[in-house]
Amino acid sequence: MRYVALDNEAVQALFDPRHRKHVIVSAHIVAVAGRRRRNVETKVVVPTSVRVQAGWDRKHRDSAALNLLRVLDLPLDTATADRAALLRRTTGVSVADCHLGAVLQELSQGGEVAVITSDPADIARVAGNGNIRIVQV
Amino acid sequence: MTLALAVEHLGIAGSATELTASALRQSLETVLMEAALDLHFEQHPDARPSLGDVAVALAQQDGFVLAEGPDEILRAALEVQDRHPAADADDVLLWVEAQRAARSAA
Repeated sequence: MRYVALDNEAVQALFDPRHRKHVIVSAHIVAVAGRRRRNVETKVVVPTSVRVQAGWDRKHRDSAALNLLRVLDLPLDTATADRAALLRRTTGVSVADCHLGAVLQELSQGGEVAVITSDPADIARVAGNGNIRIVQV
Repeated sequence: MTLALAVEHLGIAGSATELTASALRQSLETVLMEAALDLHFEQHPDARPSLGDVAVALAQQDGFVLAEGPDEILRAALEVQDRHPAADADDVLLWVEAQRAARSAA
């Protein structure tokens, strides 16, 4: 399984066609769709804390287009919260990025992971040593 | 029959039904995703990434070595699209690799 995870700015860019990084982040989603078309199972994921930070309310009418892109929510469950809390204590980066880091560590145990981020330095601090590619946008 | 044998001997799914349902779900989700992207780009034509943009994104996701930066891939995308308008990002990366191999063999 392959995963492409989004950080806060990647979500914001995807959400807003006028965002200066919209085309770049859209290219990543089109790339995923192309891979899926070739039967390579690939999922786009977003930690729910990142979604909160980006203001993505799936029930809001402005979210309709984004909701159709099959971006999978990864919730902050007990185990993920513990891992994120440890990252928060040891790195001091934002709660959303700690949740993202915990998710990246978990996903990388079962597949290849790429994370689309505007802040590669912070993500590198929380991502751990798994099979994770940090893609700066 | 072949499907059942593959499930039994390769362990790729719990059952033939599960394998079929999973493949169908993946296929339907991909169609929905592409339809959503097409609709979005119809409404916002300026937001549509070029084939080169998508190939660069795919290369980054794959960890494809961008020895010359994205320019090599963007150039290759134009060359591939010129001859094969329906080419996708994987075709572009394959073309880049083929050109690299030809250069190193020369």
